[in-house]
Amino acid sequence: MPIIEMKKVFLLGHEQEKNTIVSALHKMGAVELVDVKEGGSWEDFSRLLEPDRPAEEISELESTLGEIRYCLDFLQRYFPVRKSFVEQFTGSKLSLEREQFEQLIKNRDQLKDVARACREADEKMARLRNEETQARNLIGELEPWASLDVPFAEVKTGARAVRELITVPTDRFELLKQELDSRFPAHYLEPVSADNEYTYCLAIYLVTHSDGIRELFKDAAASTVNFADLDKKAAEEIEETNRRLEALEDNRAAVVEDIEKLLEHRTLLMSCYDHLQAEVEKMAVSDNLARTRSSFLLEGWAPALAIPDLEKKLEQAASTAVVVSRDPEPGEDVPVLLHNKGPVDAYEVVTKLYSTPKKNELDPTPYLAPFFFIFFGICLSDVGYGIVLSLMALFITRKLKLGGMGEQLVKLLFLGGIASIGFGILLGSYFGDLLGLTPLWFNPLDDPMRMLLYCLIIGLVHIYFGMGLQAYRNIKAGRPVDALFDQGSWFIFLNGLVLMAIPETAAIASWLAIGGAAALVLTQGRTQDGVVKKLMSGVLSLYNVTGYLSDVLSYSRLLALGLATGVIASAINAMGGMVAGGIFGTIVMVIVLMGGHLFNIIISTLSSYVHTSRLQYIEFFGKFFEGGGKAFQPFRTSGSYVEINEPEKVEAG
Amino acid sequence: MTELGLEIALLGAALAVGLAGIGSAIGVGIVGQSAAGLVTEDPDKFGQTLLLQALPGTQGIYGLLAGFIIMQQVGIIGGAPLNLTIAQGYAFFMAALPIAIVGLVSGIYQGRVSASAVGLVAKRPEELGKGIVYAVMVETYAVLALLASIMILFGIDLG
Repeated sequence: MPIIEMKKVFLLGHEQEKNTIVSALHKMGAVELVDVKEGGSWEDFSRLLEPDRPAEEISELESTLGEIRYCLDFLQRYFPVRKSFVEQFTGSKLSLEREQFEQLIKNRDQLKDVARACREADEKMARLRNEETQARNLIGELEPWASLDVPFAEVKTGARAVRELITVPTDRFELLKQELDSRFPAHYLEPVSADNEYTYCLAIYLVTHSDGIRELFKDAAASTVNFADLDKKAAEEIEETNRRLEALEDNRAAVVEDIEKLLEHRTLLMSCYDHLQAEVEKMAVSDNLARTRSSFLLEGWAPALAIPDLEKKLEQAASTAVVVSRDPEPGEDVPVLLHNKGPVDAYEVVTKLYSTPKKNELDPTPYLAPFFFIFFGICLSDVGYGIVLSLMALFITRKLKLGGMGEQLVKLLFLGGIASIGFGILLGSYFGDLLGLTPLWFNPLDDPMRMLLYCLIIGLVHIYFGMGLQAYRNIKAGRPVDALFDQGSWFIFLNGLVLMAIPETAAIASWLAIGGAAALVLTQGRTQDGVVKKLMSGVLSLYNVTGYLSDVLSYSRLLALGLATGVIASAINAMGGMVAGGIFGTIVMVIVLMGGHLFNIIISTLSSYVHTSRLQYIEFFGKFFEGGGKAFQPFRTSGSYVEINEPEKVEAG
Repeated sequence: MTELGLEIALLGAALAVGLAGIGSAIGVGIVGQSAAGLVTEDPDKFGQTLLLQALPGTQGIYGLLAGFIIMQQVGIIGGAPLNLTIAQGYAFFMAALPIAIVGLVSGIYQGRVSASAVGLVAKRPEELGKGIVYAVMVETYAVLALLASIMILFGIDLG
């Protein structure tokens, strides 16, 4: 049975043992907890129940969690832990032994110190960055004045003369100079440097002229520059600021070193985060339970098979716990857990990516598995590519500890590789035409129409199978009439249409088609009122034949993708052949072949996977599968950072 | 007497590779822009977004594929160029049109859907599969166009 049978579980316990019991459940991870108050049956007892405990403890833990997250993010900023390309899809966690983990969370009190150290380092870094920016800005401002030979201390207004630094827009400088020369000859204007925008000058003039000259400056859009805090020459000041920058850099390096020292606490932080997270999860359970002063009640769902084990373990953990279970009642929202054995397990990922089946619905996984295998094989259909894909999948399973959907996906690709080898031998493709071996069956490039026909036939089988499953569903649900009329009539009608294409059977087939069509016209409107409406709906239902037609034609993609893989491979081989010759040519050829084929493997595998999935989702599922169920989400440890290796293997639920 | 058949056939090949390639380039570009935006926030999404970015890239490959078959059949690759009649040349040209036109348009639209799927992955990384399915719905028509192109190509009588 691919969908695991679920039972509703009630767990009654003593308030004193609540924490033990919740911890035991959390560790087992076999029960999905639901809110007791949602089931209406407890309304009558609500007077007996104690109010919820205020959530102070939870918010305190959550603020600690926030603190840890801040520290981890801070460390990540300076010393990032990079994830590999594969891990970005599968996630990666730190692997720890249970013993190490327990040891680490005992050092919880260190957290405060670590957090303080992180904060201090963070502040220091911010301060250093700030000073650095200031210094760099200052250097930028000083640079135009670098060749000025007058110390800033002497740039000031004296009793007789004004000395000041001004910047003039370069295009107005000449004009200003002429004006000054003609109107105030007793002045000194030295351009220190100039760029496209401004000319930087030292101006000396008499105090008595200052009003007139200021007016000129204003007209020329010149502005005065002040370095009030500085008194040495510009070049010296620049040198000094540079020295200060170097010192800042040293300080920075020292702080980074301090941060590096904090890195050793990363494991502690991660472990504590996961530990506290689990604590918060456990406390949150309190919101869902019903409680009197000295007892409490939990409600949840568990796989029927796991219940004896659950009872045994809870009895060991707590003496007062009582577990009661019953079958789900109609109308209850039962969570769904899929369980398929052997290679079929891999194809669960296809179903789950679409939707979890509803309760009481068929799990489509075992039915789609063989088709997925074949379709994937036809799309990739190359022996060499299949071998490479399977080996890569094997390598990934060996190298990375995956779980859940990631593992299923890799397994699916491994099986896809095998299928591809099979179809590659049949259709004669070994890295395209690289080896030039003759196909066991025929080469679709020589006779694409024949291959197209096979693809459409296999598609028709797929669609019929989907219809068959819907008929099975109808019969099982006690609606054999629906199965006969809805699926049966279509089956006869479609077969008639198909067989009409073959000359030998055309005569009988046309009667089949007419019979099927008549059955459809007569039955498809049976839910409508009145003869006219019934017949109208019946006739209109014939229009659905276009839907079936486009469904079948959709399988032509199998041919197209298979051809695409093969022809691109041949194109790569041809390109390799063009550069062959001599030692250098051979090296280039090998590079072209390896790079090209690797690229083709990735692209072709991607399109094989997505198009094969699509054929399941649209053409196949559309016939019988609804989905929209709620996946089983047990209450259990789900660490964000750490994965704990249990000393003894825990048996699967 | 030489006729213009070969040139017309090659024009078809050029259009197949060129237009479908433009479609893919625009599509991949659109996805790349939104993907880069997401990765600034969350660098670990690189792998997933790269997968989405690759999706509208297939039109260009299909176009190249059709172009390659034409080049092979008219003898530009691996053999001496054939002396095609104008009618034969047009036959190759017509064969290139489905993937050239549909590749151009579907590449752009698939890029838009994939770019939205990047937004989907940003909020719900576990729903990557559904984002891919949406994008593949668009690609269906490129596959069908490729199929039509290939069918015509293999049906051309060079006798």
